Amino acid sequence: MSNLAQNSPQLYRITYEAYSKFANDVNRCSSLEEIAEVCKTHLKYLINFRLIRMTIFQNKKFYFFEQYGNKVWVDLKGETETFAFENSLLESGVPLLTNQIPDKLLRKKVELDKLYDPVLWGWCFDKNDRKIIVSLVADQEKTFSVGDIEILKLMVDSVQSKFSEIFLKKQLAKQNRDLVEAYDTIKLQNDEIQRIVENQKQIIDERTAEIVQKNKKLLHVLALNAHSIREPLSRIQGITQLFEMVDEETRREDLIPKLESTVEEMDDVLKEVVDMASKELTNLKSAES
Amino acid sequence: MKKIYLIDDQPISNFITKKLLELEGFNGVVQDFTDPTEAFQKVTEDDDALIFLDLNMPVMNGWDFLEAIKDKNISHQIIILTSSTSKIDKDKAKEYPCVIKYMVKPMNKKKFSELSEYLKAC
Repeated sequence: MSNLAQNSPQLYRITYEAYSKFANDVNRCSSLEEIAEVCKTHLKYLINFRLIRMTIFQNKKFYFFEQYGNKVWVDLKGETETFAFENSLLESGVPLLTNQIPDKLLRKKVELDKLYDPVLWGWCFDKNDRKIIVSLVADQEKTFSVGDIEILKLMVDSVQSKFSEIFLKKQLAKQNRDLVEAYDTIKLQNDEIQRIVENQKQIIDERTAEIVQKNKKLLHVLALNAHSIREPLSRIQGITQLFEMVDEETRREDLIPKLESTVEEMDDVLKEVVDMASKELTNLKSAES
Repeated sequence: MKKIYLIDDQPISNFITKKLLELEGFNGVVQDFTDPTEAFQKVTEDDDALIFLDLNMPVMNGWDFLEAIKDKNISHQIIILTSSTSKIDKDKAKEYPCVIKYMVKPMNKKKFSELSEYLKAC
């Protein structure tokens, strides 16, 4: 790009076109993997770097994307630990430029002897309370300068808004699934309640039928009792009717003994009725307990 | 002259009716039964008698007796004399054409006077 550096308008045009292509492609992405793929293809046309790392802080977790040459590493599950310099970036927000590069950042990706005077740049961009930490390793071969920060910011914006969009969609989908699950649970419980209600209804119907039956039996017994009491009573009444119509001897010899035996009979009947009622009551009480 | 039959399992009831008949001045033949089966045998040999019939009796109750009379197609005049005040019984009695009267015990002189027309015919 150095030969283009003298021709600023042309440089801007090329950079703008590269950015526009990148932004369009990112916009079309529907998954985090696809964003990583677009970055892998296009980032190198936007800025010079040996290694770039974007750590996105979302919902108390860190998601990261790393690229070296044509190789990318991603953690989209939010299980990655952050570097100490990233933590201080997150806290202070002050950009970083150092030649102290943590070994771990390069290990297994880049061999140090392939780099010429490498430096580590670091920024923490904060947009709408969504923080993204960008770390970039550049060297004499792939130089990065303050002038490139504008295009880097644009690139990061584009990636971050897409990331948030996908992230929110995922959350929505999860909430939707939870809602469907909750709905199913409610429906199941509703069915269960319905079943219990049906069962109760059946029990009530059965009990009601039982009570009606018992009531009938009771009324029947009542009528029978009343009748068996009334029978000797009517005889007693009949005999007393005769009292005034007969002579003293008939009264003494005939009516009084008949009256006495009938009164006794009536007493027996009453005793029987009381006895029967007591038995029924006892049965009822033992059935209740 | 018509005969009068009294059918009641309680001898005292028959005694009361008999006494009231006497007091009413009836001096015809009165025969009383405490066993309805025996009474039924007797009334089949006769016809056109006046029968005082109780309803609640063991073995053969008043209704059984009425059914038997109906089956044999014997023409007696029957007065039901019962201690049952139940409307069910009263209505049921109306289904038998031979039943001319439904009377509730206890019997007394006043009630008996309602029967004077039937007794005169005896």
